[in-house]
Amino acid sequence: MTRSAKKGPYVDEKLFRKVQRMEESRRREPIQTWARACTIVPEFIGHTFMVHNGKTFHKVLVAEDMVGHKLGEFSPTRTFRGHHAGARR
Amino acid sequence: MPRIAGVDIPDNKPAGIALRYIHGIGPTSAAQICEKARIDPHIRAKKLSEEELSRVASILDSDYVIEGQLRRQLQQNVARLRDIQCYRGLRHRRGLPVRGQRTRTNARTRKGPKKTVAGKRSVKEMR
Repeated sequence: MTRSAKKGPYVDEKLFRKVQRMEESRRREPIQTWARACTIVPEFIGHTFMVHNGKTFHKVLVAEDMVGHKLGEFSPTRTFRGHHAGARR
Repeated sequence: MPRIAGVDIPDNKPAGIALRYIHGIGPTSAAQICEKARIDPHIRAKKLSEEELSRVASILDSDYVIEGQLRRQLQQNVARLRDIQCYRGLRHRRGLPVRGQRTRTNARTRKGPKKTVAGKRSVKEMR
């Protein structure tokens, strides 16, 4: 089920304000965030986010193509270390 | 033999069915095309006149993404997901299901033929 268009995209307000403040002061520091569900809006392009994956913060540099996706999509929550050596691929 | 959209030569079938042999044309769009080109969808494809064929061709050209162009478009969409390192892109790279399906069992379409692993419990044993 997709989100109702009436509401517009979900953007974490605090995070958005933080990006705006950074934009005003012309700084581009990584922003730590837990807001994985936050949609990436065009204002985020070029900023770096440290997106929490439940354990650590995963560095995400937002590119133009990423607009419309959620921050969490770029910070994997599972690690797959592969099957044991005998497993065939 | 009628020839529409480059190489597609649907033949001894009703026009509405024959159009579906074009990659990117399914039941719905085939019906829409027949209506727009004022063709009886029940008439055999080989009985279509040159003029009718050209009408179909021009409709395909203007309103539909088909064949190579469609394949390229799909591939580009996947390539974009791969490039941006998002979850769906990673699933495409790994050849695993992209939309959250289970992978403990099934998912054979994406994973390909079974690779038997010694000592792995079967579904029956898991119960």
